[in-house]
Amino acid sequence: MLIEFICNGKEISVDVLAEMRALDLIRNELLLTGTKCGCSKGECGSCTILVDGIPECSCLLLAPKLQGKVITTIEGLEGADGELHPIQQAFLEEGAVQCGFCTPGMILSTKALLKKNPAPTVTEIEEGLSGNICRCTGYTKIIKAVQFAALKLKGSEI
Amino acid sequence: MRNQELVQVGKSALKVDGRELVTGKAKFSGDFNFPDLLHGYACRSKIAAGYIKDIDISQALKVPGIVDVVLPKDILGGNIVGILPPYDQPVLADKEIRYAGESFCLVVGTSVRAAKAGARVVIATIEPIPPILTIDEALAKDARKIHAAGNITVSKKLIKGDCAKAFAESDVILEDTFETSNQEHAYLETEVVCAVPYGDGRITVHASCQSPFHIRGHIAANLNVPVANVKVVQAYTGGSFGGKDDTATEIGSLAAVAAVRQGKPVMISNEREESIVGSTLRHASRIHYRIAAKKDGTITGKEIKILLDGGAYAAESPFVAMKALIHSAGPYKIDNIKVESTALYTNKTYCGAFRGFGVPQVTFASESMMDELAKKLKMDPLELRRKNALKPGDLNATSQVFQESVGLIETIDKVIDLNRSYTLPSKKQDRYLYGTGFASMYQGISNGAEGIDVVGASVQVMQDGSALVGIGLTELGQGSRTVFAQIAAEVLGISLDKISVKQVDTDTVHDSGPTVASRSTTVGGMAVYKAAGEVKRSLLKMAALMFKTEENNIILKDNFAQLVFDENAKIPLNDVCVAAYWTGFPLMNLSFSKAPEAKYDQDTTQGNIYIAYNYGTHMMSVRIDKLTGEVKVLKHLAVHDAGKVVNPKAFEGQVEGASLTGFGLAHLEKIQYREGVIINPNLADYAVPTIKDRIPSETISIETYNPTGPYGVKGIGEPPVSGAAASFANAVAKATGIRFKKLPITRQVILEAINRKK
Repeated sequence: MLIEFICNGKEISVDVLAEMRALDLIRNELLLTGTKCGCSKGECGSCTILVDGIPECSCLLLAPKLQGKVITTIEGLEGADGELHPIQQAFLEEGAVQCGFCTPGMILSTKALLKKNPAPTVTEIEEGLSGNICRCTGYTKIIKAVQFAALKLKGSEI
Repeated sequence: MRNQELVQVGKSALKVDGRELVTGKAKFSGDFNFPDLLHGYACRSKIAAGYIKDIDISQALKVPGIVDVVLPKDILGGNIVGILPPYDQPVLADKEIRYAGESFCLVVGTSVRAAKAGARVVIATIEPIPPILTIDEALAKDARKIHAAGNITVSKKLIKGDCAKAFAESDVILEDTFETSNQEHAYLETEVVCAVPYGDGRITVHASCQSPFHIRGHIAANLNVPVANVKVVQAYTGGSFGGKDDTATEIGSLAAVAAVRQGKPVMISNEREESIVGSTLRHASRIHYRIAAKKDGTITGKEIKILLDGGAYAAESPFVAMKALIHSAGPYKIDNIKVESTALYTNKTYCGAFRGFGVPQVTFASESMMDELAKKLKMDPLELRRKNALKPGDLNATSQVFQESVGLIETIDKVIDLNRSYTLPSKKQDRYLYGTGFASMYQGISNGAEGIDVVGASVQVMQDGSALVGIGLTELGQGSRTVFAQIAAEVLGISLDKISVKQVDTDTVHDSGPTVASRSTTVGGMAVYKAAGEVKRSLLKMAALMFKTEENNIILKDNFAQLVFDENAKIPLNDVCVAAYWTGFPLMNLSFSKAPEAKYDQDTTQGNIYIAYNYGTHMMSVRIDKLTGEVKVLKHLAVHDAGKVVNPKAFEGQVEGASLTGFGLAHLEKIQYREGVIINPNLADYAVPTIKDRIPSETISIETYNPTGPYGVKGIGEPPVSGAAASFANAVAKATGIRFKKLPITRQVILEAINRKK
């Protein structure tokens, strides 16, 4: 079936099988491999994308469900001039990235969190990122990165 | 290097590969795409033990999209993986199934979906046999032999002094048995390889892996081609922690065999369940511990028996058993020690390297016993540790002496000091129990008893004054590329933004062995230091000609060659590089670092083993809810002597991450079996710590100067696992008054114990 949606600001029109996962569409057809697959069961959060601003596990989402939606993947964050998004910059500067496999999902969940709640408490950050597993960092620097990003953004449009 | 003023080393440089990672541009193995890419999917046994009678692939070959099914007979080389002797593991099980999850054929199709559909209709006739599932079953006199040589993989001894005498003359003897469970690595990226016949007469494998040289050797052996025909390139690797060593050789060989058969690229990407059941775990263990001491707290003897459940194949069991053996007596000066460390086969998923490598298990036992001894002697647990702690000049368990860089007492003193200013909340509230636990540990740096420790590195300076660093050790998230860049930058006086560090390509650098044993910064760093030093000689020689002075009057700094005595007299380094090139001075060097060799007695394990040790003391304070068993970690101090710290922020990251893994081992994570089949092979039922489980780790570094590492460095990747796990166990014991002797000490276990005690 033909579906149409907006991905990272671009209009996409693509023919998909009804049973195709959004994750496979994004990775294999749109070649946006920044979205990672860690478990295929919605347990790890590596495949997080934003659908109309809401974080979703793209491994649990069927591609046809993207019809008419606005989606953001990690590739949609960097500015046209190559400038990093303040959240990306914060993750880098705070040392919140080790192997980096969970990072795209973490950053997108952070983006959704900060849009909803520009100055989250630690507990609110934990709640917001509880669907994203990281095995490397111990999370402490991820919390710091989110706080730093919140400070940098100060509720500006993200 | 000592007392040298440092510009790059010691600074929290940003991760050099961080930009690729935060933008999603970093290419992991699963991100490779080729128009004719095929996918392999393994058929795996559902039972733990059995004889393979027949594998019928006829239906599978009829499934649309299936192009091939690889059987054991199709592997033209040895059909063998295994990093060490006894090399007992087939790539594909041929006659016998030894664990549930073992693969016996690989279905190759045009898509993952097709390959899985094909795998579903492979008909395997496997005659079940009663599996051997526990240490006791494996050791039973009449036990079936899992391998021809029996059920003991390896057994090693450490003998120092006269233990019998020490126990006879002691004032106090304590004795107990401790157990630990299997732990899964649970890196976020599962094991993935992509084998590509690029049409150059060779086979190239892009791999998520820890030890590319191991993979290269295994691929060549299984393809029956010269090693020189195989190239392994590490892709960005989404965590490893020891787990992508053995397993990557297995699927790397399989993908290569399939790719050569088809003349097309083949990817194997393990699913999460495969990653848990079909790749290594941390060894489960049973440790019997006896300790003899004088009334004043002097520990006079230790007698320890370690049994490691290694699962179906040897994998790295021989080395893990050795490391557990060496570390089991703890970081103390003890004159009489007798240890036996044995790894066993059982019909379960095979065990191998996992961050800590046998040390977390024995440290849990050792440090639990230290607290029990302190209790018995009515001594302060930190005082007891301090009294027995290794100092410079002392003989450790293997009678190795380090004259410097033994900072254990400093780590204990730091904890004593910080604990003094920390008070646990009032115990008056009925609902909660509070307690603080401590643990000291040490961990050998370098391959040590595991054999030769060499690393190759290359440094190439370009005419524009930038530099490319190559190295044979892998970046797995721990930040080694950044550390190597910092060391090269320090030597060459080039700023970090002009330094690029390649991922490992086995074609371009000396076989550097595996990326293990917390040795990257120390031994790998030394290789980079040496290579950069050679190139620096060319630059100094050229600059001396340009300045018309002697080389020792020149330093390289901030992308300039400048005169020592006049910092305004300087030439841009790129000008020096251009001149050096056109004068014919070499601007590239391929260097080699070899750690001092281990020399020890094979029967007693006495002698010089590691080139350095990391020492640490942890403190953990917990609050336990008596009604629910819930544990909250209120405070965690991780104090380590890791030598000179190259990158403080990355150092903290290593301590925080390893500590949470230790906490998971001690409190949350447990592989569960039913009849030898893992019943929680997913991230919902197997509890990897989430952000809500995080602990408030504070990292403190006690810097000593280690003469065997560049700039005095040691390593930090693994040690905190042991410290966090053991201090957690002691904190819970302190809070509840109950000694828990088996990891994990879960909320449920705690609650049940509290209720029993009531």
